[in-house]
Amino acid sequence: MGTTNYVSLSLATALQRSLDIAAHNMANASTAGYKATHPLMEAVDPTNSGDATQAVNYVRDKGVYVDATQGALVPTGNPLDVAVSGTAWLGFEAEGGQAAYGRDGRLAVDNEGRLVTMSGAAIVDVSGAPITIPSDAGPSITIASDGTITDRQGATIGRIGMFDVPQIDKMTALGNGLFVPAADAGAAQPSENSKIAQGYTEQSNVKPVVEMIHLMDIQRAYERAVKMMDDENDLTKQAIQRLGRVV
Amino acid sequence: MKALGIAATGMLAQQTNVDVIANNIANANTTGFKSGRAAFQDLIYQSVLQEGALTSTDGTARPVGLNVGLGVQGAGVVRLNTQGGLIQTANQLDLAIEGNGYFVVNRPDGTLAYTRSGNFNLSAEGQIVTLDGYEVDPGVNVPSGTREIAINAQGVVMAYVDNETTPVELGQLSMATFLNDAGMKPIGNNLLEETTASGEATTVTPGDPGVGVIRQGHLENSNVNIIQQITDLISAQRAYEMNSKSIETADQMLQTANQIK
Repeated sequence: MGTTNYVSLSLATALQRSLDIAAHNMANASTAGYKATHPLMEAVDPTNSGDATQAVNYVRDKGVYVDATQGALVPTGNPLDVAVSGTAWLGFEAEGGQAAYGRDGRLAVDNEGRLVTMSGAAIVDVSGAPITIPSDAGPSITIASDGTITDRQGATIGRIGMFDVPQIDKMTALGNGLFVPAADAGAAQPSENSKIAQGYTEQSNVKPVVEMIHLMDIQRAYERAVKMMDDENDLTKQAIQRLGRVV
Repeated sequence: MKALGIAATGMLAQQTNVDVIANNIANANTTGFKSGRAAFQDLIYQSVLQEGALTSTDGTARPVGLNVGLGVQGAGVVRLNTQGGLIQTANQLDLAIEGNGYFVVNRPDGTLAYTRSGNFNLSAEGQIVTLDGYEVDPGVNVPSGTREIAINAQGVVMAYVDNETTPVELGQLSMATFLNDAGMKPIGNNLLEETTASGEATTVTPGDPGVGVIRQGHLENSNVNIIQQITDLISAQRAYEMNSKSIETADQMLQTANQIK
């Protein structure tokens, strides 16, 4: 029995995972601050024989990478919506107090007066501390492009932190728009060259047309893989029939 | 193949989106209505391969992990608390709030509710009431024979009774503010309720610092931006179609797999 079926099978399995990733991107096409993820495939030669005529290369999904390109900024009119223009990430305090980063700046004030995301994670300032809005300021706050929050009288309340996170591709997605950097990635540094836009949200950076083409690609490649299994199957069948024939 | 389930979450999210938009458009002419916006977040990720795991005895590590996201979920409906346009009605009991704050309404069961809709009327007993007959808090009794009611920007209610030329002060309308307006719960009939997320109501006087003023003879229009809603509706429809395409592709791939023999 040849290895053809296993090569085809490795492709089909990898393609199923690619479809899952494409479907997840499309499901999040209207999630603010969402960053598309794309699969990475690699060729694996399990024999390592070095003999090119013997080489069998399986397909394996090596991982996914986060596409960090900027999403479009759209105005919402909500003073508590902030979007980052540039490469910096907003800092958040995820469950259990761990530091997380994300680009979803749809904020709200919780009943303790802290600025939080839709799922209740507090946004932090440059020093990593949550930002509390005094009760008399309410939602009528102004956020400058450097993240400084001022109330109606012009008094400074705090400053939203923007961070440069090293090794973005190694970040683990937590869901709810939050990412945790890899343990060995080093500390995130305050960012200098990004700007915050108040009253805007960053749209998801999923490119619908590109994802649709991925879908077509995945489907056809899958059909190819299955066709190859069929052909291999036919060959084996013919071989058995022919060799088993009594002359 | 998780794609079927993932795409289904996407379609469900867009359905919610369309429901919220439909409610906004339906209430485009509702006094004091604040438009809502469905907000979404990505669901948890299933970690297939861990990033940083060792890939060889030489200590090389996997630079990226393989995390497959499981779709999208609704995170909430955010109410956009921007000021609606004021329209003049010339009705002396039509009140609009310009700025922050809510009118307080006494419900028959004794609890309080809050509203931005100031189309008030007089009850048979001379009380200022909402269109549902709920008394505006604190209660103001308008004596019989009143020919004109004047309410100033600070909420002081004066009445010109019979042929008197000097008005009588009847009372003072108060308002309520919340730390987190967006956390209030809409209960229909233009009313909102206090919740733990909104924080407790603070009773304020109109015109205080940070509090809106009352405009007599005006109503606050809804703040629904119809053009915005229609364009949102179009994008929601396209996003829905895109997700159904994922399902179609997954289905066809499963069909292909089923035909292996």
